[in-house]
Amino acid sequence: MLDYVIKRTGQVVVVLFLALTAVFFIIRLSGDPTALFLPPDASREQLEQFRKQLGFDRPLHVQYTEFMTKAVQGDFGTSLRTREDALQMVINRIPATFQLAFTSLGLSLLIAIPIGIQSAYRRNTWFDQAGVAATVLGQALPSFWLGLILIYLFAVQLQWLPTGGGGSLVHLILPALTLAAYSVARFARFTRSTMLDVLRKDYIRTAKASGVPTYKILSVYALKNTLIPIITLVALDLGVLLGGAVIVEVVFSWPGMGRLLMQSLLNRDFPVVMAGVFLIAFIYAVINFVVDLLYAYVNPQIRFK
Amino acid sequence: MLRKNHLFLLLFICFTVLLAACTPETAGTTPTAPATPQPAGGTENTAAPASVPEELVIGFEADAATMLANTDVNYVTDIQIRNIYDPLIDRDEKGALIPVLATEWKNIDPLTWEFKLRQGVKFTNGEPFNAEAVKFNIDYILDEKNNSFYRSRWKDVKEVKVIDDQTVQVITSQPFPTLLLRIADDLLIMAPKHTKEVGLEKAATDPVGTGAYKFDKWTRDDSLKLVANEEYWQGAPSIKRVTFRIIPEFSARLSAFLGGEIHLFKNVPVDSVERVKSSENGKIELVGSSRINYLALNTFYEGPLKDKRVRQALNYAIDVDELLKSVLNGNGTKMTGPLSKVNADYTETKDYGYDPDKAVALLKEAGIDPKTLKLTLDTPNGRYPMDTHVAQAIASQLQRIGIQVTVQANEWGNHLAKIRQHEMKDMFILGWGPAFDAQGTIENLFTEKAPYSGFYDKDVEAMIQKALPIFDPAERKKAFDELQHRLVEEAAWVPLWQQGDLYAVAKNLQFAPRPDEKFLVFEMKWGQ
Repeated sequence: MLDYVIKRTGQVVVVLFLALTAVFFIIRLSGDPTALFLPPDASREQLEQFRKQLGFDRPLHVQYTEFMTKAVQGDFGTSLRTREDALQMVINRIPATFQLAFTSLGLSLLIAIPIGIQSAYRRNTWFDQAGVAATVLGQALPSFWLGLILIYLFAVQLQWLPTGGGGSLVHLILPALTLAAYSVARFARFTRSTMLDVLRKDYIRTAKASGVPTYKILSVYALKNTLIPIITLVALDLGVLLGGAVIVEVVFSWPGMGRLLMQSLLNRDFPVVMAGVFLIAFIYAVINFVVDLLYAYVNPQIRFK
Repeated sequence: MLRKNHLFLLLFICFTVLLAACTPETAGTTPTAPATPQPAGGTENTAAPASVPEELVIGFEADAATMLANTDVNYVTDIQIRNIYDPLIDRDEKGALIPVLATEWKNIDPLTWEFKLRQGVKFTNGEPFNAEAVKFNIDYILDEKNNSFYRSRWKDVKEVKVIDDQTVQVITSQPFPTLLLRIADDLLIMAPKHTKEVGLEKAATDPVGTGAYKFDKWTRDDSLKLVANEEYWQGAPSIKRVTFRIIPEFSARLSAFLGGEIHLFKNVPVDSVERVKSSENGKIELVGSSRINYLALNTFYEGPLKDKRVRQALNYAIDVDELLKSVLNGNGTKMTGPLSKVNADYTETKDYGYDPDKAVALLKEAGIDPKTLKLTLDTPNGRYPMDTHVAQAIASQLQRIGIQVTVQANEWGNHLAKIRQHEMKDMFILGWGPAFDAQGTIENLFTEKAPYSGFYDKDVEAMIQKALPIFDPAERKKAFDELQHRLVEEAAWVPLWQQGDLYAVAKNLQFAPRPDEKFLVFEMKWGQ
């Protein structure tokens, strides 16, 4: 087990390194950001002077080496725009992003898994058809549109909820719902098909024949085996959610990481972009790592050598 | 035994995950009460009741970069912090200069400017406002260490001398005729003792100024809260609390406005004007902004537009009145030259008008058959009101005389980079502002070296370089008037319009929008 952990940690480090390198060179393809920060009436000499001062005139490999040397020590530089520590700026957004991601994930699991289980059990009944239809609808609706409709309905017309912003549980409801709508679809359909597979198995028939009550079959025998594929899906989704559900964050003015990253990219605020990419890649890698460990726990048969 | 409750375990995990989302940040705080008292659960918004809201909420599209003045060149930062800091000189609603913290100014000689400062003004932490404070702020801009992005505009300032508490002199290294404009547009006064004591890093989130409002709280990317400075030297403000709420998405801003959560926001798209006008609580205010939009006819590109006759033909072939009416619904003021009417140095220039026959004749004279002419038109996407729609409309107008135009929409950063690196082809759309003087526009958009220039002609360049250092106002006016006529004759642009800035304002808020786009809450008050 230990050398498995060591191997996986090594892989995480390699992934982070590659991600940072790729993004470093790609964003510099659009040139350097100096001109976007200076007033439009700055002369070319002044632009050059600032470029030099900020270090953007040096050859790319020199800039890269300096960046990497500092990055491994945790120093991603200061934001060109706010002059604050870039990594700290991104870290400050983590709580808000986590709140949104986990709430939306929890909501979608809460709704999707029971629907999926029941749909599988009552296969081809009206419940199943309705469930599938509803979930497909959820997947098809663009989150941008859904978010705006929810705002219009609940915040403008009914005035039950705020139109956006952060800061309290009430502000979390609409954005979490909007995000969850998409995931519910996937989880429900996935649960349903995995469940259908599992219910066909011999040991289920045996349990039924031995008189085990239905609820026990569904919730005990079948569910644990359905969990493994679902855990994969959850891990993938969580990674995406934590990476910043940018659209929802923008529509609801939710102060999360995705919005910060997008703005920094548009503003060409390179240090913040790099810090953001690093943190997101790191979180994503860690989640996958934890999930792999979870597999091993849930199913003793899957123990990587 | 244990296995019995796996389903419940799963549900329990889900709930725990949900609870994990409730950190102290979310748990304890209650949502801020809606800005105006809401009618009980109604789907109809009845008119706002007589009681005055406690707090003014302004919906803003982006967060300030820093609370430090004189640092970030971005109207988003500037608009918000102008309520905390005062300038030495400001503009009135016509754009003319008026005294604020400086009461008088004069030239002792072309290199020396002397300012008399207002007496008895204090910063909100008790520090006195005096010449030292002015010196501190200008030195802040000039000091390379501070990396102020304004530095490039102040390079001709050599030093600042404190003569006495109420008098300060600014010495320039060469004649700087537009120094007053720099002071009006750029310079805000931060409290020197406070800034030095807490250091720049802390002062960036803890500002102290002499302004009408004091800093209360700043939650990044969420809101900036200010409270009235009761000891403000112009009198206590009538609106006691103001919040700038950051809402990046336009539809969300509109929803927040319609729901009564915000009272004011800027840049209503022309096709949402009716929606705001027909709402119970909202009205539209329109002002002719000093920001201008234009179509540059790029002479840096080796193409047909290098010929003046072709450029003039394009001016005849494009019907700006029609564009204004059909694309912008009339929200804009047509321009015929490089300067708009609110520009202090404006002079009336000839209007080419819409004359497609003359356009074709001119093209034939230049040896070009319009039906074989292919041009490219670059436009930003969403930066200026209806920019991509305007580009498409221009393309179809030119199509009427047979010219084929390919429209290319660019992301903003790329659009600017293309202009700077001379990668633009025949034509591009750009805006410029705030534009209150001739030099700021002409020097930056019609010379050889300026990064965003789209026009260069040897003779015109000589004219410009001769006009820039002229100090005597009458001679300066003559030189710049001549330049405006010349630039229209050269058809360097197809001038479009002075932007009509549309604001959505709550019916119970008195707000007169300014051509310089500032939100000075001190000038606003409640009441119909």
